[in-house]
Amino acid sequence: MVTVATPPAPRSFVSSISDRIKQRVHKKRGPMTPPFELAYRQIFVLPTKFGWGFGFMLIFMALGGLNFNNNMALILVFLLATIAQLTTLIAYRNLSGLKVDSIHAEPVFCGEYAHFRVFASNGNERQRFAIQAGFRQAQDCKNFKLNSYDSFLLQRPTYKRGWLEMPSFRLETRFPLGLFKAWSWIFPQTRCLVYPAPARKAPPLPKTGHGHSGPARRGDGDEVHGLRKYQPGDSRQRVAWRASARHDELYSMEMETPREDACELDWDLLRGSEVEKRLSILTAWVIAADHKQLSYSLILPDSAIPVGKGDSHRSRCLEALALYLL
Amino acid sequence: MLNRLSVLWTVTALVISMLPQLASMPFHLVPITLLPIVWRLMAEFRQWKPIPMILRVLATALAVGALVTTYGGLMGRRAAVSMLVLMLSLKLLETFRIRDARIVVSLSLFLCATQFLFSQGIPMIIYIIACLLSSLISFMYLQRCEAFSVLDEEPESDRKLLTELGFGASLMALALPIGITLFLLFPRWGSPLWGLPEDALDARSGLSDSMTPGSIQNLFMDDSPAFRAKFEGGVPRNSDLYWRGPVFWNFDGSTWEVSYLSRNLLADNKPDPEKAPFRYDVQMEPTEQRWLFALDYPALTPRRTKMTVDYQLIASRPVTRLLSYTMASDPGFQDSPVLRQTLLRAALALPEGFNPRTAAMMADWRKEAGSDSEIIRRALQHFNQQQFHYTLNPPLLSQHTVDEFLFDTKEGFCEHYASAFTVMMRMAGIPARVVTGYQGGFYNPIGSYLLVRQSDAHAWSEVWVRGSGWTRIDPTAAVAPERVQQGAVDSLEQRRYLLDFEWLRNARNTFDLFQRGWNNWVITFGADRQSRLFSIFGWEYLGPAKLVIAMIAILLITGAVIFLVAPMLLKFRSSRKPDPLLRLWGKFIKKLEKAGFVSHPSMGAMELAANAGGQLKYESDAIFRIAELYTLCRYSRDMGNEAELTELINCFEIRSAPGS
Repeated sequence: MVTVATPPAPRSFVSSISDRIKQRVHKKRGPMTPPFELAYRQIFVLPTKFGWGFGFMLIFMALGGLNFNNNMALILVFLLATIAQLTTLIAYRNLSGLKVDSIHAEPVFCGEYAHFRVFASNGNERQRFAIQAGFRQAQDCKNFKLNSYDSFLLQRPTYKRGWLEMPSFRLETRFPLGLFKAWSWIFPQTRCLVYPAPARKAPPLPKTGHGHSGPARRGDGDEVHGLRKYQPGDSRQRVAWRASARHDELYSMEMETPREDACELDWDLLRGSEVEKRLSILTAWVIAADHKQLSYSLILPDSAIPVGKGDSHRSRCLEALALYLL
Repeated sequence: MLNRLSVLWTVTALVISMLPQLASMPFHLVPITLLPIVWRLMAEFRQWKPIPMILRVLATALAVGALVTTYGGLMGRRAAVSMLVLMLSLKLLETFRIRDARIVVSLSLFLCATQFLFSQGIPMIIYIIACLLSSLISFMYLQRCEAFSVLDEEPESDRKLLTELGFGASLMALALPIGITLFLLFPRWGSPLWGLPEDALDARSGLSDSMTPGSIQNLFMDDSPAFRAKFEGGVPRNSDLYWRGPVFWNFDGSTWEVSYLSRNLLADNKPDPEKAPFRYDVQMEPTEQRWLFALDYPALTPRRTKMTVDYQLIASRPVTRLLSYTMASDPGFQDSPVLRQTLLRAALALPEGFNPRTAAMMADWRKEAGSDSEIIRRALQHFNQQQFHYTLNPPLLSQHTVDEFLFDTKEGFCEHYASAFTVMMRMAGIPARVVTGYQGGFYNPIGSYLLVRQSDAHAWSEVWVRGSGWTRIDPTAAVAPERVQQGAVDSLEQRRYLLDFEWLRNARNTFDLFQRGWNNWVITFGADRQSRLFSIFGWEYLGPAKLVIAMIAILLITGAVIFLVAPMLLKFRSSRKPDPLLRLWGKFIKKLEKAGFVSHPSMGAMELAANAGGQLKYESDAIFRIAELYTLCRYSRDMGNEAELTELINCFEIRSAPGS
């Protein structure tokens, strides 16, 4: 499914043409899955606003030249017109053959910008210059050397949790003179998972865990866990001087933070709040629990995620929260 | 926001296109024009803020005021173009965005086009190229500045200035064939839709519509071409090369002027063009005057031109650009064997109370002489035998110009002689008039045409003799025959100015060949020449419709050729050489693919070797060795042997499996 953003303001003549082209292209071609190359039939070329203005100026100059039969002025006009015409070819070639390898989006929390990364690569045909990418306004611009790849970053604000379909975007270039733009609409099938926004002032983590206390979290902390051999990078304050002196070898102290109990993040703990509020508190809890390296489980009315920890567990929980009842 | 490079190039493009106009502006306007440019450059380097709107308006008002007071209004081309230059320069005060910069550069190109109203000489080719290149480059910088404005800064690219220059040049080179096709075949208008302002040109030198002896003098210093003539047969003898221009009847004691009568009476009798021995094409430089030049006596009347009773060719509008016409002349034509009373009176009129000494002498001669022709002969002998000198720097004359010249100074050039002779004749009762024009010309043997320069200007007399009509008498020839035989400049003993050498003049005469070709093919190219463009193919005349068809056909052909050539010329090679190892590896993969192996870009060297070795079992050893060596060459500094790898890959061949 592709969402075509509704135009907010009256559109100029040129962009209404480009909108119509876009709809026709979409109807004809449908969504595309990378990798694909931008090809002849997908690239459109039209004058820019500057191009129209320049064209009118040339017509005006040509009228003057014809009227006065001023041949050098006519030569200038004809040369400029030919050069302008040539740049359509150059703009087209600048885009044609560019390969879109893949489009990715990492999940974000609602309210943050969704970041879509469009990976593109260039073969050894030609260098490409000033290729822009954007949904409606250009957001990123890249040069491509021979045999190189790069990525465009496209951003989109998020307003609600769930899947955010990536809208159609365009790759566009006005190279070399800015008189013409060549562009290609791309209808991606990428979507970005939007987690609920974490509640700002979430209540403290519930200590209702049934789990057993896990191993202590080593590294930082206030309590000494034990000694180990000194490793480069260990803080000098942590060096156990007395022990080191005894063994003729440097030892440093290993610290630990004592483990809290595992917790159970239960939907029913938040009775009384509305759905979205509950989701955002649960999200904040998941983040907090993950940050503290606790084991936690998530219980929602329609699903339950058993106790676990780590990145994949966190992602699973957040995904469940994001897609709850959707 | 503009980056520095785009600002610099915008200013460069503007300044280049302004140069010719700056050179011909009144001097005090130049600093006014340059000031905003300097301010903009300073603003770029010192990070100055744009000045407030009110100040900008004020500056504009002041500058326009200065312009209007200088030119006395905004009418006329120089004033209008100066206005454009000034406005463009002031526009820089508010050029801080890409849009404004683009307007400035586009209008610089417009300014470039307006300059061709003033001059279309060969040096303007350099100007047109410089304007095109600089504006293309600024458009390119502006485009990239615009494109990368979405980022904080433009990434490093290997497009250096030289690349931009080369790119601009190849754009122009690619555009040239189509541009020329368009130029030759784009239908022209036979007549303009709106007229040229009358004050079109800067003051041009040339013959004027009056003659005060001494005033042609500045023409002798002027070596610029007046016109060129290409003769169908051989070039006539030098003594036949009298190019007729303004004819003067009225004399007020110091100045000769054109008569109203002669200017408005049309010739009722013309030489027969069929029998005219001289046929030639004239390509005339603009003069701002209405006279066309032809040898005595013109037999044809070019378009929009009339032939007056004294055989001046007068165009209906001043000649403001190069004009080409075909002409035929018959020197043996008898000009007015019978003279009307009004003209006779005009040809004898003299102001009262001038030149008493001459009048007395002529009265004596009249008494002694038997006939008019005797008086004419006697006058010429007088010039020849008395101590008269031909010089370009004669002493000044005061009230009785003819008296002083004949009896006191005795020095002068053609004007003085013609004027004095004509006055003498009239005093003796012989109808006479002064004819000005050009005499002689330089024959360019390479182009086989005759080049007549302003310095060839000449004045002579015509007297009316009953029975044979108007007869040309050149009193200068009586004093300095070499003037007529060799030309005005070569007959002088001294140089006219410091660098006036003969070899320099000859070099210039030879170079004029290019100027003539340029004039012929570029400047005077118009509707009629265009319609005859294909006459070598036997199509005498092509109308606009056929021209358009021819244009489209040729455009399609050239377009197709360019379409094929363009990719080669516009290929942007990266400045770095491709990695040799990668090329070798690519070659190896190609060899594997020939044998039916499908590789994926994601495969590493060893992974590829494992897959390929599994598929092409008979070669698996070689494949593994190559992959290992490639890995070594790639990843360890000194263990890989590139030469060996090259050898291995070059010799690598896939034999077909035995038995299959």
